[in-house]
Formats: sequence, C-alpha cells, structure tokens
Amino acid sequence: MSSEPIERRVSYLGDRLIGSCCSICGKEYFEIRDYCGACGRKSFGKMVDIDLFYEKGKLEICTLINEPTNKFTKLGSYIYGIISFHNGKIRVPGRLTDRIGKKSEEVDFSALEERDVVPRFRRRYSVDKRDVIPTISLAFTFADEYYPHQEYNIVKPHKEYDVPGIVGYGVYTSRFRIREANIERSVPFIDEDAITAAVEAGKMALIHSGVDGSLVGKIYVGSESNPYAVKPIASKVAQVLNLGEKDEDMQGVDAVDTEFACKAATSMFKDAASLVSYSKSNIQYAIVTGTDNSQAAPRDCPGGELDLFVGYGGCAYIFGKKDVIAEIEGWYSCTSDTPDFWRRDGEPYPMHGGRFTGDPAYFKHIRKAARKLMERLNLQVSDVTYFVAHQPNVQFPVRIAKELGFKEEQYLPSLQVAKFGNTYSGSSPVGLAAVLDVAKPNERILIVSYGSGAGSDAYSLMTTSQIVDKRKRQKMTVKYQAENPFLEYVDYTTYRQLKLGM
Amino acid sequence: MQNRPVIVAVGRTKFGEHYEKEPEKLIEEAWLKASVEADMERRNLEACYLSDYFLPITNKLGLEEGFLSELTELHVPMEVTRSFSSALSNACNAIQAGKYNIALVGGIEKMTDRWDKIRDDLMLLEDPWSYYAGCTPEANHELMLRAYIKKHGISGDNLEKLNTALAQVAVKNHLHATKNEYAQYQRKITVEQVMNARKEAKKTLGLYDYAPISDGATSIILTSEEVAKKFTDKPVYILGFSSATDYLTFPARADLTHFLVSEMAMKKALKRAGVNLWDIQVVELYDQSTVMEMVSLEDLGFSQYGKAWRDIYESCQDYRGYYKINDRELFVNTDGGLKADGNPLGATGGAQIFEVFKQLRGDAGERQVKSPSELKYGCVLELEGFGTKGYVYILGRD
Repeated sequence: MSSEPIERRVSYLGDRLIGSCCSICGKEYFEIRDYCGACGRKSFGKMVDIDLFYEKGKLEICTLINEPTNKFTKLGSYIYGIISFHNGKIRVPGRLTDRIGKKSEEVDFSALEERDVVPRFRRRYSVDKRDVIPTISLAFTFADEYYPHQEYNIVKPHKEYDVPGIVGYGVYTSRFRIREANIERSVPFIDEDAITAAVEAGKMALIHSGVDGSLVGKIYVGSESNPYAVKPIASKVAQVLNLGEKDEDMQGVDAVDTEFACKAATSMFKDAASLVSYSKSNIQYAIVTGTDNSQAAPRDCPGGELDLFVGYGGCAYIFGKKDVIAEIEGWYSCTSDTPDFWRRDGEPYPMHGGRFTGDPAYFKHIRKAARKLMERLNLQVSDVTYFVAHQPNVQFPVRIAKELGFKEEQYLPSLQVAKFGNTYSGSSPVGLAAVLDVAKPNERILIVSYGSGAGSDAYSLMTTSQIVDKRKRQKMTVKYQAENPFLEYVDYTTYRQLKLGM
Repeated sequence: MQNRPVIVAVGRTKFGEHYEKEPEKLIEEAWLKASVEADMERRNLEACYLSDYFLPITNKLGLEEGFLSELTELHVPMEVTRSFSSALSNACNAIQAGKYNIALVGGIEKMTDRWDKIRDDLMLLEDPWSYYAGCTPEANHELMLRAYIKKHGISGDNLEKLNTALAQVAVKNHLHATKNEYAQYQRKITVEQVMNARKEAKKTLGLYDYAPISDGATSIILTSEEVAKKFTDKPVYILGFSSATDYLTFPARADLTHFLVSEMAMKKALKRAGVNLWDIQVVELYDQSTVMEMVSLEDLGFSQYGKAWRDIYESCQDYRGYYKINDRELFVNTDGGLKADGNPLGATGGAQIFEVFKQLRGDAGERQVKSPSELKYGCVLELEGFGTKGYVYILGRD
C-alpha cells in the first residue's frame, strides 16, 4: 500500500517542480523553503515560490539504468542523470523518458550530456492497481527532439467580443506511432496515460492563448479512459496546470470529469462558453479537455476489432470572451439511447455493438446535428469553409461529409485519423485544431462530434483576425506532430505493452 | 584529546548470507567474541550503543534495545543509531565526558532477509527524490565517475588507465580478502573479470565495482583509559574523531566529484588527534564502489584532487600490498574493504575498526601489513547515504 498523504505531498511539489528562491541573495532551492540557508533568519517571509514547469533545463551528466529498482522495471532500461536549471542554480535528479531502451545498446553519454531538456509530467513508477497513481515531472525529454521548449508568456488581452469563443487551444500526442492498414496511430509511452495527455494539452493551450491560468474558473476533463473508476482526474490537471487563484495548497477553480464516449469534451464546449458569458459567474476563462488513451481489447478478443483504430492524445480548448480566435455562432446537440459501444464497470476493455455502429449510430446522429444546426443558422454548404466530423476511421467522416454535400477542400483538412488513430474524446477536437492551425480570419467551421451511446454536438465557429496573431506562439501544431522527424514507429507487441502502461 | 576512549576488544561474524540466523544471533556472536577477548562479563557493561541502518524495515524488528536487553539480561542504557560510526561517536562522547567507563558498541544488519526489495529500500532511504526520479543504488556512483572524468578532463590513454585503476581497486580488495577468514568473498578476481562484467552491463562500472549486500554483526568494547588496563595490555586509543553532514540529494550538492563530509571530518579528526596526515599508515576506506575508494583517497588528503586514479594505477602495476603515494606506503582496506569483506550497513564500520585495531596491535595474522616502520596510526572513514554523513576515526597505539 502506498501512503496517500506522502503521495499528495510528493506530487504537489514534484508535478510542477516547485521550489523557492531567496529574494535577498537569489539562492534557489528545489522544494519549498521557509528561509534561505545562506541568509538565515532575515530571509523569513522573503522566500518566493518558483516552479520549473515551463522551464528549460540542461542534462549535465547521465548514466544508463538497466537494472532499475522494483517499481521502475516496466520502463526497461532508461537514462538517468542530473539536470540543472537557471545556469546551475538548481540541480535535480531526473530520468529521460520517451525512449525505448534496447537491451543490447551501448550509449554514448557524451552525445546526450550538455543538451537542453524539458520537464515532462508523467507517471512516476508502477504501483499496485488499487493504489493512487503516482506522478512526477522529474521526467525529461530533449528540447531539440519531438517536444520543443516553449515559453509561457501571459499576454494582457486587448479586445473583448460580444459572443464567447475559443481563446486558445493545444493538442498533444506522443512521439510513438504504430503503422498498420494504411493508417498511423499514436501510441503512448509507458509512463503516459489520459491524465498526462490532458496536462500536456492544457499546458499548450495556455501557452497558445497567453491566458493567465489563475483566471481560469473551470476545467472539464472528458475521457473514456480515465485510469480511475472513482476519482476525478480533472483535479490533478487543475493542480498541475495551477489553474484558478491559488490559496494555500488549493486551486480556486472548479474541476470536473465528463464522460460521454467520444463526445465527452465537445459536449462541454457550450457549457464553457455559457459559463464565461454569464456575468455573475465571475469566470473569465474555462478549459475543456478531451483526452484518451483509447482502449481496445487485444485483437483476438471480443471487442478486439477496435484495436486497429485506437490512438492516444489530448486536446484542450480555452473558452472566453477576450482575444477570441473563433467565435461560437451556435450549436445543436441530440441524444438517443443507442448502445453501440460500452464498457461495464470492472471490465478492462470496451465492447462494440457491430449492429449499430454506422447507421443508426454514427451517421444518424451526425446527420441530424449537422442539418439541424445549419437549418437554425440558415447556412448553406457553401457558407462553410471547413467541415469537421468525429473520426473513428477514415471512411465514416468522408462518407458523412459527402452525404451532407461537402467537398474535399472542406472536409480533408480536418481529417487526421490516419495520422493519430481514433483519439476518442480528442478525435473531432484534433480535427478542429488541424483546421484552426491553418484557417484564415472570417472563415466558418462546422464541427460535429459523435459519442457512442449515443449523441452528437454540432457547433458553428467563425474565426477572427486574432487567429493569425496567436499562431506564432504554438510550435506543437497538429502538422508538426504528424510529420515530425523524431517520430518512432513500434511493432504490435511493443504497442500493446506501451498502451497497457506502468 | 582528553580522556581518550580505548578499544580493548573487538569481535565480528563472518559477512555474507546468514539466512539461517536471526539478527539477534549475529550480534550475540560478535559480542561473545569481543567479551572472550577482553575476558569480560556482561554485567561489566554500563551502556550499549547499537547500530543498524534498517533492521525495522528488513526484519520488521523495532525497539532493538529490547532484543539486546533480553539477550544480555542487562537493563543498562542502550541506544540505537544507524551506522557503527555514529554509535561509536556516542559511546566516545559518553566515555570522554566521564559518564561511563565501559560500553559495548555493536553493529548489525540483515539485508539478505529482504533480498527482493533491498535495492528499493536502500535507494529510498538514501534519497527519496532521486528514487522517485528512477535512481538506483549504483547510479550515483556512475554519475560521480562521469562528473570526475569531465571535471578533470580525463580522456584517451588516461581514461583507459583510470578505468583499469578502478578495476585494480576491486582486484586488490579481493586479494586482501583471501586472507580474511570473515570476508564475504575470499577469492581472487582479475582485472579481466571486472572489465568483462562492465562490458556485459554495457556500463562504466559493473558487478565487481560494487560492494555486495550482506548480513553480519560487529562489536567493540570501549572503555576509559584508566579502566582499559584491567582488560588488555595492548590498548588501541581513539585519538580523534569527527563527523560532517551534507545534502541528502546528491545532484543538489555543489561539487559532484567528491564527498565534502569526508574532507571536513578528516581535517577535524586529525586536528583533534594531533596527528599528521602522513603519520597514518593503515586506512579503511568506505568503498561501496571502486569510485568511492578512489575519491576517498583524495577527500582524506592522501592523493591530490584528480590524481588518485594515477596513484592507484601506478601502485598496482606491481602491487606489494599498499598504495605508493608521495613516496609513502599507505595500506588501504587490508581486510578486503566493503567490496570483498562485505557491507552489512550498520555493522560495516565495526569491521573497519576491527581491522585497524588488529593491524595496530600486530594481531592481523596473515593479513598483518609489513610496514617499514612501526605501525602507529590508522584511520577509518565511514559514510552514511551517498556521502550524506561522513565519520572519521583516528586510531593509535599511544
């Protein structure tokens, strides 16, 4: 059994790499200090909190661990070393992650040392399935590889809009892929899960929007692969991202998990938009996150047909009324109790009702939601620049787009399933992000999600001129992640191992 | 130093795996050996200072004083600390203060009873943050070696010599242990074996570079100067001792290439003892790894910083039982060191004292060093954690 209080304290410090800085002499410490060791009593009350969450470090020295301690054995062999920040003012221990160790490898440490690294929020080590999942950001990747270092600069907003909309967004998928049946799918590293992807996506949305995290009043985390049956993961995401005004060790933010198969996130877009529009809510920004380590049974088991399509990733959208990049023109949602995909409590993998999957599940709901919204807003197909549909595979979104009358140039830019697989709650949001990455001002986007069980949410969005201004703040675009030279392709056995996690 | 504490007798068990014995049996064995040597009864003891690093974890055995009380039928003050050196320093303080005249100092560890989890425990106790980041008990030694190589710009031919020198440390310690009946490994190894183990692990340090996991117990009987005569005519004095502390987290320390605690403790201990560095002939270093033996030679002042590997390499070209440094002979880890004698944490320091005691008295049998001059002074360095604490004892015959 692990100790929950120890877990709470370690992850509180370790998830963001919280430290202290003496405002008298400038000495820095990892962990919170009440006073500076060098300045003594006069430094009481003069210690300033710092954290290394958005910082860039340097790998000073390292070694190969091929006989880890018990809780790390699932990582195989890995690189462990000493990382310095702020020109050596703080040094911490750390392991390199996102690296599949090979038994026979000879590592040239000097090729790794002195390089810049970025802290990554990951699972810490393996524990009993009954225990709280331990996390930490003493895991690092090289800044000159897949995951670049990006500064988080808070930008004062300069324009307030009449209607709410998207203020910023972030997409995160891992650097591992499996290539099968003409599609590529993202595969989590062994220390990643739905929680870590939500944090990464949220981090990038904050970087992209320039929004001060303390002004975020609500966060929704939608997922169908929550590693807990009972316990919110939104609480972890809120704490790691330091959302809401911090008071003692608590965040002044409302955090809630949502679940509705693949529309757990899109369903909340309207709630977030409504919340920031309600003057008495005192909430300036709300974040909606869709995150999944999409689940599927092994290929030869019941439900195993999904194993050919599942991906991994997270998306985060920040809604507000200031410095909006895409205004919400309207929405329509519909629901019916159609059992086409489910997982009973205690079962490890979802089942898939073959009878309903296309029609009357996917096609019927998307068709209804799209047509109703277009009718309400009096939109013609030609009024829409981009059409985004839920993407469980390549065929379905293409078929529904054609049926609704959309042309290739309208629906192809959003079609990302062949690059990442079905990222479930993040599926249509990744498609939307791909479009927002390239859209010009004053273009209309129609996004229609689908969640099994079943329902669809349709939104009409209109881009603003600010979409172009904010674009340069984000290096981790959808295209960047899809076409990155540092992608690593794994075989089926490795894919299953990685997906299963620590 | 006033009112010097005196070691009148020492005792120990063989180090290694003692799966058939309870921890209490091991400490009993060590104590009995010392008491026979001093011809002393239990009731003479006025206090007991016991050390074990993690018996409550490995053997779910808490309040060790109670076990010792049951074993000895003694009800005298007893205290438990984590290392033999810390127990000894408490005993020395009490004797110097005149509080007690006779005290037992014992060390005990039973690591193999928790074989499957021992490395996790070791690492977690050494430094939780490093453990959380994936560190192993071996990794810090490798990082220290990397930092050392980088700082001193050692490359090419010299790097090869350094790597050979480290292998020679292990070979030398195994050679010494062949004459130590208590040692865990009483067999010779070769430089090739050390190198092959490194190659197999694809690392700079391999199996033979590290001290093993061990069970064992040690004890010494410590008395005041006036009482010592009753028990021995060959007393060994603790002339000076000191300790120092450093950060728990190795990466956070200012210099990654040496142990500040060793340097500080040695300087103070020498000063207190009034002994010059080069008057010391026998040294027990805390060689949890071959790297530790190397850097400790520098930390204690025998070798220059960045040069110990050269001293070792040259001494081992034609090894004669000592390191030749500065044209002087230094006998290092004559019992085989932690590497070959064994490393039952809480008992380890006792074995180090045991060895210097035997050498100084000329009682080391086959291991007795052949010093050109009379052996007068010996020194023991013990560390806790990865250089988080360091203790130095200067022992002498007068």
